[in-house]
Amino acid sequence: MTSASPLVAPAPPASPALQAPLPPLPELSPAQAAGLDDPDLLAQCVVDIPLGSSLRRIGLGLSGMYCAACAITIEDALLQVPGVREVQVQATSQRARILVDPAQVSLSAMVSAVQRVGYRAWPDAAARAGHERLRERRVLVWRLSVAAFCMMQVMMIAVPQYVAGPREIPEDIWNLMNWANWVLSLPVLLFSCGPFFSGAWRAARQGRIAMDTPVAIGIAATFIVSTGVSFGAQDVFGHEAYYDSLTMFVTFLLAGRWLESRARERVTQSLEALCVRLPEAVERAVDNVPDADLGSVAVASVALSSLKHGDRVRVAVGQAFPADGLILLGQTEVDEALLTGESRAVPRAPGQTVVAGSLNLGAPVWMSVERLGPDTRYQQIVSLVHQAMTEKPGWMRSADRIAGPFLWGVLVLAAGGFVAWQWIDPARAVWVAVSVLVVTCPCALSLAAPSALLSAAGAMAKRGVLVRRLDALEALATVRQVYFDKTGTLTEGELSVVALVSGGASHRLQQPLPEAVAAQWQQAVSLASHSQHPLSRSVVQAARDAGQAVSPGQWLDVKELAGKGVEAQDAVGLTWRLGRSDWVLGFDEGGQDAADAPRVWLAAWRDGRCLPDSALGLRMDEVFRAEAMPAVQQLRALGCTASLLSGDHADRVHEAARHLGTDVAGAQSSPEDKLAVIAAAQHQGAHVAVVGDGINDAPVLAQADVSVALDQGAALAQSQADLIVLNGRLTGLPEAVLQSRRAMRIVRQNLAWAAVYNFSCIPLALMGLLPPWAAGLGMAASSLLVVLNSLRLGATPWKSSTS
Amino acid sequence: MEILYVLIPVSVLLVLAILAVLGWAIHSGQFEDIDQEALRILQAGDQNSQDNVERHQK
Repeated sequence: MTSASPLVAPAPPASPALQAPLPPLPELSPAQAAGLDDPDLLAQCVVDIPLGSSLRRIGLGLSGMYCAACAITIEDALLQVPGVREVQVQATSQRARILVDPAQVSLSAMVSAVQRVGYRAWPDAAARAGHERLRERRVLVWRLSVAAFCMMQVMMIAVPQYVAGPREIPEDIWNLMNWANWVLSLPVLLFSCGPFFSGAWRAARQGRIAMDTPVAIGIAATFIVSTGVSFGAQDVFGHEAYYDSLTMFVTFLLAGRWLESRARERVTQSLEALCVRLPEAVERAVDNVPDADLGSVAVASVALSSLKHGDRVRVAVGQAFPADGLILLGQTEVDEALLTGESRAVPRAPGQTVVAGSLNLGAPVWMSVERLGPDTRYQQIVSLVHQAMTEKPGWMRSADRIAGPFLWGVLVLAAGGFVAWQWIDPARAVWVAVSVLVVTCPCALSLAAPSALLSAAGAMAKRGVLVRRLDALEALATVRQVYFDKTGTLTEGELSVVALVSGGASHRLQQPLPEAVAAQWQQAVSLASHSQHPLSRSVVQAARDAGQAVSPGQWLDVKELAGKGVEAQDAVGLTWRLGRSDWVLGFDEGGQDAADAPRVWLAAWRDGRCLPDSALGLRMDEVFRAEAMPAVQQLRALGCTASLLSGDHADRVHEAARHLGTDVAGAQSSPEDKLAVIAAAQHQGAHVAVVGDGINDAPVLAQADVSVALDQGAALAQSQADLIVLNGRLTGLPEAVLQSRRAMRIVRQNLAWAAVYNFSCIPLALMGLLPPWAAGLGMAASSLLVVLNSLRLGATPWKSSTS
Repeated sequence: MEILYVLIPVSVLLVLAILAVLGWAIHSGQFEDIDQEALRILQAGDQNSQDNVERHQK
């Protein structure tokens, strides 16, 4: 079916990230155009309404751009569309902002204009959020530029005042210079210092003291003193104006903030890469044709929000899947890296599931929509990430409590310095107080931990490990004992044949079998190859894994009986049965509960009676995940003990522990037993991580210092674990331990640096050795150093998970 | 020295004017994409340059 389909194109030679010119695109069909001309869709794309005008600025997303000149081609094409007034295309962000007259313009005309010159465009309904961020960025740059320009001019005027000898500059010129500097400092005070004052004011209204408070007091004090000096109150305030110091340290502080925000943007970008947006418009099949004929069906472009359960949707190469669903037609490869951490492209054929947010890399395919919007795994993951990013960790709240007294201490020190210098040198008293206020701003201290933890969480999210609480990273770094709460967390959930039972003797499949048993085993495999039952398939798979050929055999009259097994006749007329013991052997073999009882039996029947000599029992056991062994080994290399703590049958648990080389901390344990084991380990001082499926083991997970859930299904949102390893990729766990240890190392470095900086600078400032501008520079540099140090966590490559 | 009475206020006004221009430039996105504008002149089919060529040939 699929190979004949016109949809199946050969895989493109390069990934869509390497943008090559797109092939000419077909014109929009009338149905697609009608979908785009929905007035609601246009309203969603509005990012900005210019004051006093009926025009609107809208956002379009673009793709297919491969150089900066493409932007100009698209701009030219869009300007030809009636109703378009102004176009700005940004090649870097692949977005267009267009000033349009909503009465004249139509989205379909714009989209087809862009398609005609060879690019793809879609309405960008999330443009407003991006527009807000852009505006914030611009305002910060604007504040910095105002401060920097005014600082330069203030310096220009202040230099003659410094170098001139006493009375060398006439009094009136001196005053004029002070007034000029006062005027130049006003924009800095009123506009550039806005964030400091608003931060301090917000805190003051809540009766708290914030990081910005000392800085705001310093700025205000310098400005008031300087104003008094400039406007004739020199007997009160002395003769020194501090406009140069004021503008300079404000500039340094703002430059620090700006660089810091750029650095932080890199972290948020990696998280936003996870939140790669779903397509805004999708191509839905119009007619109700059989799935196989979808290749020639007419499609309409509809907004994602109007998609419904059961719709059939065409997904082009390079596009993200809009919903969770099943592939109907076409074979492709999908990139699920952002959802599962699996970096290779995964093949997908009809009948297989795809998840929203993964990218279609291979060929255009048709899918049916199963889950939409908030029900999709994609949305669940995105909301988990947002939750972790916005939640304030517990110790950060306590850090805020410590910061309060610290800041009061700073204020007292500054006041003390001011009073002391009244005796030493009254002219420098204000200068010293301001230096103390600025240099001790504990920004570096407050950034030390959150910047590192966020950076680590961002890097982990890229590898399919989601951190729900940032606190958990701290605990994870010290974990020495890992309990696997269920045997199921280490297994695939599929069964495989491990041993054959014949005449009371058990033979392991890996070892050479006696000839008679081997012949019976051949019979079982060839009979199983006629059935599609999961157990039959795992029998065939076991034979293949053991390196044996699977032949369909000479069977007549093969029948598959639901709930029983497979039955067929061989060449000599014997009836062979493969299936449940009571059906195959004619009686219940018993001992079904025992862990090592054969699950499947094979036997020959003649004249309605079972021949006991021909009976062969197939003992099945669960298959261990391929990553289970490396994960346990890597954990051990990291100094963690891995143990099984399971409610399963003791034999099974010991078998699993022997296979993986782990300890057994408990088998057939009730939840209370598990709690007791964990509490005992904690009592001995070990930090404990528990790995479970995150659903039924809430009390056990809650008792652990760190709880890890292996996400294997849709119930991600209910999971209460601290860490979620997506797609059950177990090796994500040692990676997370490693990453959290590196994060905590960097937190300690940051804290040490911030403490050394603060404690060495306060005496310098109090002794009058540190002018306010140097204090501003030092403070900005120390914060920046901390942030850059934290960013190393995101940049350094991870240890390979496949090794 | 009297010229300073004019020059200092002028320098202040000049800085404020420069700041106004810079503010406009930042907010109208002049610094968002630096590469793209340099290529604009190479773009074929520019109506103005075509007009200039024709006018020159007459």
